[in-house]
Amino acid sequence: MPRKCFLIVLLLVISLSLLLFGCGTDQARDDQKPGVAKGGEQQQVDIIRLAGGDWGYLSPYAHYPRGPGSFKMRLIFDSLLDRDEKGLIPWLAEKYEIKEGGKQYLFTLRDGVKWQDGKPLTAQDVKFTFEYASKYPMVSSSFSSEDIEKVEIVGNRQVLVTVSEPNAAMLYNLGLTPIIPKHIWENIDNPKEFTKPEAVIGSGPYRLTGYSKEHGTYRLEAFTDYWGPGQRVKVIEFVPVSEEILAFEKGEIDLAGVTPDVLPRFQNDPQYKVVKSPGFWGYRLLFNMGDYPVLRHKEFRQAMAYAIDANELIEKVARGAAVPGSAGILPPDHVMYNPNVKQYDLDLKKAEELLVKLGYDRLDQNAIRQNQNGEKLSFNLLVGDEVRLAEVLKEQLAKAGIEIKVQSVDMKTRDARVRENKYQLAITGHGGWGNDPDYLRERFAGRSRGGISPAASGLQGYKNDELNALLEKQRLEFDEQKRKELIFKAQEILAEDVPEIPIYYTTGYSVYRPAKYDGWMFMYDHHSLSHSKLSYLERG
Amino acid sequence: MLVKIVERVKEFSLPGKAGLVVILVVLLVAILAPYISIHPHNISSGPPLSPPGGGHPLGTDELGVDLWAQICYGARVSLLVGFGTALLAALGGGLIGIVSGYLGGWPDKVLMRLIDIMIVLPDLPVMIVLAAFFGPSLLNIILVLALFSWVFPARIVRSQILMLKERSYIKSAETYGAGVWYLMWKHFLPEVFPLVAVNMIRLSGRAIVAEAGLSFLGLGDPTSKSWGLIIHHATNFKGIYYTDFWKWWLLYPWLALIIMVISLAFISRELERMVDPRLGR
Repeated sequence: MPRKCFLIVLLLVISLSLLLFGCGTDQARDDQKPGVAKGGEQQQVDIIRLAGGDWGYLSPYAHYPRGPGSFKMRLIFDSLLDRDEKGLIPWLAEKYEIKEGGKQYLFTLRDGVKWQDGKPLTAQDVKFTFEYASKYPMVSSSFSSEDIEKVEIVGNRQVLVTVSEPNAAMLYNLGLTPIIPKHIWENIDNPKEFTKPEAVIGSGPYRLTGYSKEHGTYRLEAFTDYWGPGQRVKVIEFVPVSEEILAFEKGEIDLAGVTPDVLPRFQNDPQYKVVKSPGFWGYRLLFNMGDYPVLRHKEFRQAMAYAIDANELIEKVARGAAVPGSAGILPPDHVMYNPNVKQYDLDLKKAEELLVKLGYDRLDQNAIRQNQNGEKLSFNLLVGDEVRLAEVLKEQLAKAGIEIKVQSVDMKTRDARVRENKYQLAITGHGGWGNDPDYLRERFAGRSRGGISPAASGLQGYKNDELNALLEKQRLEFDEQKRKELIFKAQEILAEDVPEIPIYYTTGYSVYRPAKYDGWMFMYDHHSLSHSKLSYLERG
Repeated sequence: MLVKIVERVKEFSLPGKAGLVVILVVLLVAILAPYISIHPHNISSGPPLSPPGGGHPLGTDELGVDLWAQICYGARVSLLVGFGTALLAALGGGLIGIVSGYLGGWPDKVLMRLIDIMIVLPDLPVMIVLAAFFGPSLLNIILVLALFSWVFPARIVRSQILMLKERSYIKSAETYGAGVWYLMWKHFLPEVFPLVAVNMIRLSGRAIVAEAGLSFLGLGDPTSKSWGLIIHHATNFKGIYYTDFWKWWLLYPWLALIIMVISLAFISRELERMVDPRLGR
């Protein structure tokens, strides 16, 4: 067997080297070009390695609906706009205009953009993308066919999108849609199953040149004919690691997340740079109000919120690197965060009062609360990897007489069950808390926009007309200040209603070696350095 | 009976005696867990990750749960899984071995081929799949482990029975009209029991390690605080080797596991030496 393997490897090496000789001249030219194009004042690096893991095939339809999947896809697929530290920036579109009070969006495309297969990117592709994506929602789609009235091509470089209703978040949603090539996708009827090599041809700065589902590895190589800023990183590799910090110290990966406990190791060493992430990644406790009537009582949910001590959870599970959840959902780092909403600090007395008011006024022999019909406050809590979080939560809620049975499954199963509402209580953790506050509408007003990201999983069985009206109104409001007031009001209602409990937003630390590569940056609404496209590109 | 056991034990070598003492101590710890653990084993009782000393003899984990208490209660799980699996496997395997050896013919052939298959199957990967499939619970883990352990006693018992059933005293018992059950109870079981007992000790050592392995991989029962689960949580703590925490959080459950398994190995070797004089020399 080893001999056979060896022979195969040998054969591969020989054929590869033959191939290389065959196109030696092309190779040389390709290698030189970016070097010439760039000024060379910004540091360049041949290869950056990051912690891997399987996040699906990197087409806009096949990647796994979580940050690590979608950012890799975005390195291959450019969108009309992108995000820098401050906000949206023109990207494939060199400029954009909002017309008719938010009813129309006019994007002017950049000239000379090429797909990775050499064909030019035209307004046709953009029009096709919007139409295709409203027919078959992409993994990270944030609009549906109802939202888009029509897409027209104006001149030869402009695309005019008319939406059915004005929406303040629409620019974000349209602008960040990955543009896909019409000539490849137009005859595809089941995009989720389409995982041929053509499916990952985009117009972005990197090409996918290696993917192994089993090992969770990816290899992304700089696309030499890229229209935009030069790639400072030539190759990005995602490699399997078992211990991130160990791998980072040994130089196997170039960026690692660290906990406060190991921080001193890196903090005082000039060789390393430590960066604190904004709190845009959080855990929330979900109530399945559709199937379980007791969860529909506002008082019950408030009692839960009073019984949970976020500070203890942060101290123990997050080792201090987090900020407590705000009952108004939006995290303190959010631009529209309302600091004055009702907050539920630990108060077992209030929790007890509320539960007694609901009729759960007696305790059984195990100190679990029950009402006169003997209905106990006992729930199954579905979690993914958050077993430790669940254990502390169980302990805390037990003090208020609420029994929790922890049911732990793997992350993907948990996400799927939350999506299908197959749970009683669940904990889910995800990013995206810093996004445009229109996500409140998606979560709480039952307006799912077609995406399947865990950040978008709405709540079954919750309805508050006043909140719905507010959230509908804010999306029509283009005046930033007035919109902020409406969002502030919505946060107050949410804090009173507690349709879900944000537990805490993590503010982890990332560490890297500036001498090796220092281009890392945060997007204005995101928690991860490695997730921004601009982290790998030259900055003006 | 008791005198006989004591006499046997006296013949043990030093490691064997030490092993026996350790197992007895672990047994005591497991039985007396509620009385000697000082702190509760499932809820926090102190500051997180406090080092050994003070109120917590072995320190606490990141949730502030006392480690000594967890190890005490973990001993219950380990012993339960170890001896439960061994008992189940020995019972099932012994029975199958007797049936197969005594009946002979096609049941014997079928059972032997089945055993061959079970031996060839790599047990840990299949166990992982089964544990993941049936869901994490202590009973499932015992069943899955037993499913992979019965083949060893079965083979040993079968070979003994093949030999025994040709003995003249069995033959004469048969001619006097002794039934299968009578033979099994009066003649076969007493003859094969020592061999099975040796095997059981070895199986329980294996089962304890396997349970710890499954828990370590996160496939164990998350509510049964076994030693493997403590190790699982400790190794899942990001960057534990770069902090001092591993010195108690990881070390003590690991030590408990190692000591217990080594003791079982010593005892099993000792018993083997007595039962099978060829190995003793």
